[in-house]
Amino acid sequence: MYKTITIKAGSGGWGGPLTITPTEKCNKVLSVTGGGIHPVAQKIADMTGAEVLDGFKTTAPDDEILIAVVDCGGTARCGVYPKKGIYTVNLEPVGKAGPLAKYITPEIYVSAVKESDIYESDYTGQAVGNPASQSAQEETAKAGSEPKSKAQAKEEVAKASEGKKENIVTRIGKVVGRVVNICFQAGRDTIEMVIGTILPFMAFTATLLGIISASGLGNVIAKTISPICSTLPGMVIIAFVCGIPILSPVLGPGAVIAQVVGTLLGSQFALGNIPPQYALPALFAIDAQVGCDFVPVGLSLGEAEPETIEYGVPAVLFERIVTGPLAVLIAFAFSIGMY
Amino acid sequence: MEVISNVANAFIGLFNAGGEQFVSWVTGIIPLVVCLMTAVNAVIGFIGTDRVERFCQKITKYTILRYTLLPILADIFLTNPAQYTFGRFVKEEHKAAFYDASVSFCHPITGLFPHANAGELFVYTGIASGLQELGLSVGGLAVRYFIVGVIVILIRGILCEKIFAALSK
Repeated sequence: MYKTITIKAGSGGWGGPLTITPTEKCNKVLSVTGGGIHPVAQKIADMTGAEVLDGFKTTAPDDEILIAVVDCGGTARCGVYPKKGIYTVNLEPVGKAGPLAKYITPEIYVSAVKESDIYESDYTGQAVGNPASQSAQEETAKAGSEPKSKAQAKEEVAKASEGKKENIVTRIGKVVGRVVNICFQAGRDTIEMVIGTILPFMAFTATLLGIISASGLGNVIAKTISPICSTLPGMVIIAFVCGIPILSPVLGPGAVIAQVVGTLLGSQFALGNIPPQYALPALFAIDAQVGCDFVPVGLSLGEAEPETIEYGVPAVLFERIVTGPLAVLIAFAFSIGMY
Repeated sequence: MEVISNVANAFIGLFNAGGEQFVSWVTGIIPLVVCLMTAVNAVIGFIGTDRVERFCQKITKYTILRYTLLPILADIFLTNPAQYTFGRFVKEEHKAAFYDASVSFCHPITGLFPHANAGELFVYTGIASGLQELGLSVGGLAVRYFIVGVIVILIRGILCEKIFAALSK
């Protein structure tokens, strides 16, 4: 017997409250948090009677996942499950953010959730299963009752417009309209991206960098890290450390660490503490962990089977120990003749 | 009194330095990124992702293209994180390797095509802006970052495919 629960946004959180009930088919809680099953996911499973899965080890078809628990700082993962129509709990206090922000709505997403934000509920009017499975049910219901299919509808439209050939002015007008629309939409997408993601990141990094340089911490970094980064073996060691399978999923999320380190190194290049010919190897040294936090989600976006994810995660993680340092060496070879 | 005002000045100074940095990025990086991203987004709109999909389905059977051209096109046309959905075109045993190639390219691409991963620009831009302050041109760096990126993702793809095969035996 499954129970209904309500999940509210925690302090600083956004979205929700979500009231959810598992069904016979849709009864899995997916914990996509790294480092095992998160206590919040466990508690949701315990209270509803659903089954909890570690998203890094396995996965389930979308229509069986009732709710996904993620810890995403606002880059990718927080939007992936809402896009698929799966209820999403984010442990971080993140609202509508990232490239998939338009899919993040309060009806499907709630953030900054802690164990104490989950309540038993006796509200019975709520939807059952995840929204994706509901719409699928509705669609099958519709398909049954509606005799007019899409193809038939198209035919009718085609018949209706037959004989009314558009003149050249209308056609040119339509093409111009379409071109302008596409360009305008491109601009809108760009500005949304700049305001929603690029500017906030600049604000955060600029503040951090300002504090580091004005407080004198910058000098400490210049004396300790810069010497390591201005030798080839130092770079190889950094790449190796970033690629260690236990560390790489922790260092990965949102590339925040790689970006902050990149900016810090940039300020050291600007001061002349690291010679410019080390720029290219440095780009690869600080990025050996790229995407290691995202393997199960990325694979499920590519419609991989649960078994593929099970073997795919270690395959990617272990391969990075070798290719991380190797990438630095290749980059070093390619820097010859630059600067 | 003097002590207090000194402390206050030092405190404000921390954030003044940050503010200057912020303004230099907004005026130095954003204008180029905005125009470049708009142009590329428009081109993608004209070409249409369905055409790219049809083309990509054809090239998955060649190992070299699977871990070079396929992830590059996925990055440029779908951008991070939607790019990984192209994984559905490759065989089950190649999916992990395709993911690895694709995700490993999402920073090398930002030097030339910032729209492809606009949320994570600062891996490249952070280092590149440091070089610009020295008065160096970063065009060569962006191109070399792209080329080395292609070589690295090919190696990662092939190696990952082999490890996956060994693990799943």
